[in-house]
Amino acid sequence: MALRSQNLPGVGTKYEFKTDKGDTVAIFFTRTGTIQMYTLQKGCKTPSAAEMTPVEARRLGNILTGAIIEADQESVEVAFSALADLRVTIHTFYIPKAIIGKTIEDLQIRAKTGATVIAVSRHDHNIINPSPSFVFEDGDAVLVIGESDQIKKFESEIMVE
Amino acid sequence: MEGFIIALFVCMVLALISKYLSIPAIPFYILAGIVLGKAGLGIVQSDEISQFFSEIGLLFLLFFMGLGLKLDQMLADPSKLLTAGIIGLVVDMGIGFTAAYLLGFSLMEAFIIGVAFYITSTAIVITTLIENRKLMMKEAELIIWLEVFEDIVLIIIIALLSSGDKDLLFFFLKIVLGLGILYVISHYGKEFLVSILDRDDETPILFTFAAVLTTASLAILFGIPDTLMVIALGAALATTDPDAFEQHARPFKDVFLVMFFVFFGVTIDFASGMDLYAIAILCLLAVFSKLISGMLIGLAIYGSALSGLEIWANTISRGEFSIALAVLYGSAVVGTVIAALVIVTTLVGSFMAKYSTSMRRGIVSHSRRKALVHRPHNSGR
Repeated sequence: MALRSQNLPGVGTKYEFKTDKGDTVAIFFTRTGTIQMYTLQKGCKTPSAAEMTPVEARRLGNILTGAIIEADQESVEVAFSALADLRVTIHTFYIPKAIIGKTIEDLQIRAKTGATVIAVSRHDHNIINPSPSFVFEDGDAVLVIGESDQIKKFESEIMVE
Repeated sequence: MEGFIIALFVCMVLALISKYLSIPAIPFYILAGIVLGKAGLGIVQSDEISQFFSEIGLLFLLFFMGLGLKLDQMLADPSKLLTAGIIGLVVDMGIGFTAAYLLGFSLMEAFIIGVAFYITSTAIVITTLIENRKLMMKEAELIIWLEVFEDIVLIIIIALLSSGDKDLLFFFLKIVLGLGILYVISHYGKEFLVSILDRDDETPILFTFAAVLTTASLAILFGIPDTLMVIALGAALATTDPDAFEQHARPFKDVFLVMFFVFFGVTIDFASGMDLYAIAILCLLAVFSKLISGMLIGLAIYGSALSGLEIWANTISRGEFSIALAVLYGSAVVGTVIAALVIVTTLVGSFMAKYSTSMRRGIVSHSRRKALVHRPHNSGR
């Protein structure tokens, strides 16, 4: 895979790479703020294009890095290369009926899974760093941080119906 | 003043319409100017205020062009660009100049028309490439760099035209001195400039505006072309933080350049004894000359007439720079010709750019079908 980037005057920045199988992908960050992605199949002459807003492009990026995104639940994995490749995953979940009325302490979230609830979105406001005595209500969405294994454990042990 | 406000309001409506139809707005602005101005209803007159605004629009257009000149990152293969650029220059300027001269224009007028024939509209060409999602085409990169090539040719032409009948050596020395000062300021004052641009109050935008106007007025004071110096200012400041300067200069450019186009239209006067046939011939030739140069470039660089067709379809539109030439150096008659030229080429150009892909596909499948039809005959005999 050979990636090349280039500044095109008046247009913006172009990134282009060829996959090992011979397909070409080109991304243009245009001056107008939109992002255009072109894919050209090996042997084809006309590329197909998609134009995205920055938000859409970021979502696409998340999908491509392998994070799971379901309907309204999304996950972002961040790698800090300066810190010995520290990888952290942040995932959102809508809480199941089973844990309504329970506190974070009751559920022993950190002890059981290793993941931490760092924020809860309730109706129209957010609770950052909820305390152990925090009680979940119907309709809460939680933001959980941890390693990807810890997040998986959280999903299978706490987020059960 | 009322006329000015009417013009502003009309432009806003036209901008919305052109965005909705996704065709370039420049021809609409000129047409609006023609309709509102001398040649049409006569509601809007060109006065001192409008002239001042138009002038600022022109200065900011040139400043932007200077900001975009990053010569250090020219195409990977400069000989390719040079070949293509020179083909375009010789063919388009040659056809425009010869035709205009044969139609009875003076040598100087014919030269201006020739340059207007050659210089395409960077703004329109680049926007249509993005809007029609053609950035990945192999011809796109060449087209984009050709715009830069044209900018450089335009700078040389402006320098030649403005030297005129003055004392050449003294004039040249003054220009070099001016360029030197701009270089020193942007080189040694880089940190200071960046620190101003980083502020989030009104200083960056004030500074940008003041820098352009100060440079222009100092240039006039010392008897050197302000147009050239403003381009040089842009090129010098591009070595510091071009994106920030672009961001701060954009509002001025957007508003004043529209005024520039409208009041160019306002000053057009059809009563100045213009042969309509001559205008029509020149407009058709303007579309046709790019077909010839596009084909030649396509064949020379890619060895393909289809590539040439694609280059043609995307480089028909003439615009802001042709008008700038008309305003700076053209007579009233030349102004009328260039106005018509810009309107016709931008409309034809936006149409061709939109449908070139299907046109290309049509040609390819047609020739394939022809080949299929012919083969059985040949093998039968």
